[in-house]
Order: sequence, then structure tokens, then C-alpha cells
Amino acid sequence: MRLLIPALLIALGMASTAYAKVKDPAHEITSQIICPCSCGEVLSGCTCETGKSMQAVVENGIRAGKDKKAIVNALVAQYGEVIRGAPKPEGFNLIVWIAPFAATLLGFLIAFLVLKRWVRLRALTLAVPGPSRTLTFPSGRALGADLQSLRDRAEAELRELKRTR
Amino acid sequence: MSELGRLALLLGFACSLFAVGSIAWGLRTGLSGPLRSGRRAVWSVCGLALLAMILLERALLSRDMSYRYVAEHTSKDLPLHYAFTSLWAGQEGSLLLWLLILSAYGSAFLFAYRKRLDPFYDAVAMVVASVMVFFTGLLSFVCSPFRILATPPPDGMGLNPLLQDPGMMIHPPILYTGYVGFIIPFGFAIAVLLTNRSGTRWIEEVRRWTLFCWAFLGVGILLGARWAYIELGWGGYWGWDPVENASLMPWLVGTAFLHSVMIEQRRGMLKTWNIVLIVLTFQLSIFGTFLTRSGVLTSVHSFAESNIGPWFLGFILFSSTAAVALILYRKALLESENRMEAIVSREGSFLFNNVLFVALTFATFLGTTFPVLSEAVTGTKISVSAPFFNRVNVPIALALLLLTGAGPVLSWKRATASVLQRNFILPLFMGTLALLIALPFGVTGVYPLVCIFAAAFVTTTIVMEFARGVQARKGLETGALPNQVAQLVRKNKRRYGGYIIHGGMVILFVGVLGSSVFQKEAHGPLRNGEALKIGDYSLTLRGVTEQQKENAVLTTAVLDVNRGGKFVGTEHPAKALYLKSQQPMTEVALHVTPAEDLYMILGGVNEDGTTSIQAYINPLVSFVWVGGLVMLLGTLIALSDKMRLRREEKEAA
Repeated sequence: MRLLIPALLIALGMASTAYAKVKDPAHEITSQIICPCSCGEVLSGCTCETGKSMQAVVENGIRAGKDKKAIVNALVAQYGEVIRGAPKPEGFNLIVWIAPFAATLLGFLIAFLVLKRWVRLRALTLAVPGPSRTLTFPSGRALGADLQSLRDRAEAELRELKRTR
Repeated sequence: MSELGRLALLLGFACSLFAVGSIAWGLRTGLSGPLRSGRRAVWSVCGLALLAMILLERALLSRDMSYRYVAEHTSKDLPLHYAFTSLWAGQEGSLLLWLLILSAYGSAFLFAYRKRLDPFYDAVAMVVASVMVFFTGLLSFVCSPFRILATPPPDGMGLNPLLQDPGMMIHPPILYTGYVGFIIPFGFAIAVLLTNRSGTRWIEEVRRWTLFCWAFLGVGILLGARWAYIELGWGGYWGWDPVENASLMPWLVGTAFLHSVMIEQRRGMLKTWNIVLIVLTFQLSIFGTFLTRSGVLTSVHSFAESNIGPWFLGFILFSSTAAVALILYRKALLESENRMEAIVSREGSFLFNNVLFVALTFATFLGTTFPVLSEAVTGTKISVSAPFFNRVNVPIALALLLLTGAGPVLSWKRATASVLQRNFILPLFMGTLALLIALPFGVTGVYPLVCIFAAAFVTTTIVMEFARGVQARKGLETGALPNQVAQLVRKNKRRYGGYIIHGGMVILFVGVLGSSVFQKEAHGPLRNGEALKIGDYSLTLRGVTEQQKENAVLTTAVLDVNRGGKFVGTEHPAKALYLKSQQPMTEVALHVTPAEDLYMILGGVNEDGTTSIQAYINPLVSFVWVGGLVMLLGTLIALSDKMRLRREEKEAA
């Protein structure tokens, strides 16, 4: 079984080589632009008339040797910011770029602090000798199971009562 | 008949209200009569919703144009099977389907627990009935599917051509079964809070219900991706469209819950967090419906837009506020029973995995809603689409993939240095080996490399877990290795079902990596006999035909496909012009092999007589579908594990 994994990986690696590095400069632009008509598709895959004319603008611009940024800016000037697939990271839009990563880091920090606190609390409890240990952390799980067991018994008895009636 | 339909919905509304009131009264007084009546009322709503649906289907199939809904979504030339499925083409019909599935869940729940006299289950039914009040109310007073036109048109407007696809016949009902199903876990969570009862039994039950609807939602998402791949004709299957995102979000939070619930079951911890995740999952499934139906965001999947957005928003605000208030009120009930022994443990890794799932959901939520927020603040219209999500969500998803491998090989409570060494050295070695193999082959970019490393890392951990299991049972099981593995899975379906799901996830990630990073594209105008080259393929145009179909004119290009100079087949990409809407639709041609898809689109016939052909090579795209199927298989295996419930029931008896 251990031989299977390297074999699979080699196959994957070989498959990868056949495809690596195939994007053209026009695609780099069109994959970042949204068609402004109601179709809302990414320009590289758009087949509507507006999309086709914009794809032609990009390809002509690339053929004429224009800078990619200049081509994008010209399209934005014509159709508005709405055609950028990802908003420019400036001003208010910075929120959408920063918040997900900030939230992830904050989440990790909170999770770490909570875990640390729980570990510390447990250590403190274990350090307390004698019966207070059991008082501090009664076995709620066992208690829950007992309650559930009693509840189920009561249910069964009720059912029995109903049946005999 | 429309009056009967309206009456059915109105009675459904009354029954839902009665169910809520009656069960609430029964719970308060302890009387069994009101509880019984409430349960019967829930059953009645299901019957009434079914009646309403049959009546609407009857109108759709007979093309009764006096119904506004029928006139708006069908036409006389629409094939019968699409007339049937046009029930969920519009808003009112979709909401009726929602109601039917919701009430069916309520009834199935009551049937499953019919022998339990515990009022706890009535409290769950009451929550389901409360949501039914909202939907029957909407359908009765805001957007009835039984509205009649004063002067019926001679023919209808027809069905949106995008929906005239076999995939659309099953995708929405399956997706809705997933979405709506989260009502049961939500009901359990609220019932725990209302009845002030905790314990471990409900959490096992809720896990099974969640797994069930999570699987349906997953299959629904995958079918949606398949539909987009075949029907939208842009070469891909996932465009981070708002409606796609709306279905992904509850699935992500549901996945987080399915992991963290294990900690509650084993260690009696994270009770509040689990309740929060359940509430969030349900709210996000309602939010998904809100996004699809409100028209607040533009989407290729948004087929019905109207003014019901504020109602949904109000419902989300009300139900989430009530849930949060209840959580705060029952804070003491949700206290952890145990404390963590070490940060480096399976519990710790599950907590970090939860952070990543929620972060991914947050990033998706923010990106999806940001255009509305930005326009409100700055006044400028912006888009947040695939280029954004690929940059923000992909790194978080890759971190998740890495944790998928790490979590299961860490021990519960505390992972010692020797455990870490024993469990991580081989996966790390295999991950590095994969990188070393990939690098000289020209694979570049951080994300593809991390994905390759993570895929090898996770696969190794899964294989190791299976190998260990087989080793441990060596004396107990006989036969060949596959037989031993099958026995192992049978003995602990839940655990190994989970590993199979992880394996499916790895396959899916590899598929996404292959089809996105290594995609090839070519397009060009062709004359008869000319060829378009893409990779090893050569597509030669043999001609263009035009054919009148039932409700569309189909223009088809005939392409001879050669690979490496060898003829492999004739393909027929087409463009359908739907007569009613005059909307052109792409009919993609696919040449599928296990390693790649050759994806062909007919752009159209140009004025100069040439034919525009667009082609993509999508490597490993079949891995996406296979990965999804493997995940479904793992879920079915995990769902079939009734051992724990049986054991608990035995103990209780």
C-alpha cells in the first residue's frame, strides 16, 4: 500500500507537466474581468456579444503591445469599476481584502487562548487535593447519562401503563 | 381549482399556527392532549402542502394559462417533463416546494419518534411548525402560486432556457432537501434551550439528521456545479456566484458542526459553540433562499426575483435574535463538563478546523454581500467575483486541507511527542516527496504546490489509519486485504466513513487543482475543413446544420476530433435559440477521458461565413465528480452506523 502513494504522485506529477504554464497574456486579463452585461460571467469564458467585443479589445491591445494595466484601465474607464472581478484594494474596499484574514487570525488567537485557559483550569483543579476535586468538576456527563436513563425508564413505564389501560 | 389551492394553503397556515400554540400549551401545562393535537396539525400541514402542490402541477401540466404562475413559467410548446419541473422555476412554486419539504421533514421527524413520549420531541416539532407558519403565511398572503389572471393569455411566456436541462429536474429538489433539512438540527438546538435539557443522546440524534441533510446539500451543490459546467458554457463548474456561495455557506458551517459535535459527544465540551453552529447553519440556509429569491444580488442562478426579500430578512433577524437570547438565557446549561488536557490534541485540532471553516464562511459571506455594502457606503458599483475568492478563499481552504490530515492522527486529550513522531513523519515525508516530484515537472505557484503537498499528506494519513486498523484486527479477520478493509469499515462505520469522506475531499481538491491551474484554451473562427489546435487535439470543422426542435432552433457545428493525428470521434457543440424568449443558449460538447475533458462551445456563425469555436482542455475535471461521489459514499457509510444509538438505548433500557 505504501508503494501505491508514490506511484499515484508520480502519475499526478507527470500529468501536471503536460499542462503546466499554458495561460496567455490575454487570458490573464480576461480572467480578472467580469462581463458588464446581465450575464455576469468572467470575461474569459463569456460567449455573449458584449463579452466577445471586450475579448477582442483585449486581444487587439496585447497584439499592439499595450501594457496589461493600460488595457484594464481603458476597459474600466469605459464600463466602470464594476467590471473588475476583484475590487481594487484601496479605500473602503480594503475591508473585503483584510477582514477575512484578520478574522482567521483573530479566530486562531481566540481558539488558542481559550484552549490555554482550559488547560490551565484543568491543571489547577487537579492540583486541589481531596474531595473538592470532585466538587469542582462533578461528572456532568455521567449525571446526564443517569438523567437520560431515568427519563427513558419513565417513558417505558408510561408506555406500559398506556398499553395496560 | 385555484380556490381549493388557496384554501389548502390558508388551512396550512391555520394548522401551523394551531400546532405552535397547541404544543406550547402542552409543554407549559404538561397535558398530553394539546401535544397530540399539535402533532396531528403538523401532519395536516404536510397533507395540505401536498394537495397544493398537486393542484399547481395539474395546472402546469395542463397549461392552464388562467394561472399567473403557469403563464409566466410555461408555454404550450414546452415539453411535458419541463412543464412538470417548472414548479420550481419561479418564486411561488419554489416556496411551495420549500413548504412541502419542510412539512415532510416535520412529519418524518414525528414518525421517527412516534414511540417516544418525551415532550422534548414535541418542542422540536413546535420549532418546525413555527417555520411552517412563516412559509404558509408567505404563500397565503404575500405570493400565492394560485393567483388568477383576469384575461388569460393564449400562450405563456415559456420556461427560462437555462432551466431546460435534465440536471435542473433534480438539482433544486435535492438542494432544497439539504437546505430545508437543517430545520431539524435547528429544532433540536432550540428544544434543548427551551426545555432546559442537555445530555448526550440528542447530540447523537442531531448528528445523524445533520449528516443526512449535509449529504443532500453536498450532492445538490455538486449537481449545480455539473449543471453550470454543461449548461452555462464558460468552461468551468464553479464561478463563486452569489447563489453558489449561498449554498456553500451552510454546507461549510454544517461541516464545522459535524466535527465539533464529536468533542461534545466524547468530552462533553463546546456545547454553546455547537448550538451556535447549528443556529448559524439554519440561518445561512434561509439566507441562501433569501439571496436566490430577493434579487438583492445579480446571479446566473437567480431565476426568481421579487419583493419578498424584506420578509426573509425579517424572519432571519427575528429567529436569530430569539436563538441568541435563548442561548444567553440558558448559559448555565451549556457549561462544559470537562476541560482540555493539552492544546496539541484532537480536540485542539478540531477547534482550529472549526475556526477555518467559519473563517471560510465569513470570507464567502463578506465577498458575496460586499458589493451591496460598498455601493451603499461609497456609491460606486463594484463586483466581487471569482478573481477575489480565488485569492482569499483558496489559502484558507488549503489550510483546512492540511488540518484534514493532521486532526485524525492526533490522539484525544493529549498527543505526546512519540505519537506526533509516529503519525507525522511518514505523511510529511510523502508530502515533501510529492513536492520534489512535482517541482522538476514545471509545477509552479504556491497554491498548486501546497495543494500537492497537502493531498499527499492527507492521503498518507488516511492510508496509515486504514493500515493500522487492519493491523490491529489481524488476528480477528481473515481473507484478502480488501476483505479485511471491508470488515474494518463495517466494524466502525462512523470512523472509517469519515476517512472515506476525507479521501473524497482530497480527490476533489486534486480535480480542482488540475482543472483550474492547468486549463488550456483556444478559440478561433473556422471555415469548413479548417482545424483549431488545442494541446494534442485538433478540431476540424465539417459543417454547420440547423434543425427545428420542439421549442427552439438548434444550430450545430460538426467537429471531427483528432488526438495526436488519430481520429477519436465527431462532436456536436450547438447553440439553441429558444423561440419564446429569443434567448440563445449554449449546448456544450464534451469529449471525456479519465485524465481530461475536451470542452467545445459553438460561439456562433459570423457574418463573413466563418464559425466561432471555443475549446478548453480541463485536466482532471472528472476527479471533481468522482471525489464528490466518494464523499457521498463515505457519508452513507457513516450514516448507516446505528451502533452508538443502539448501545445507548440498550443502556437506557
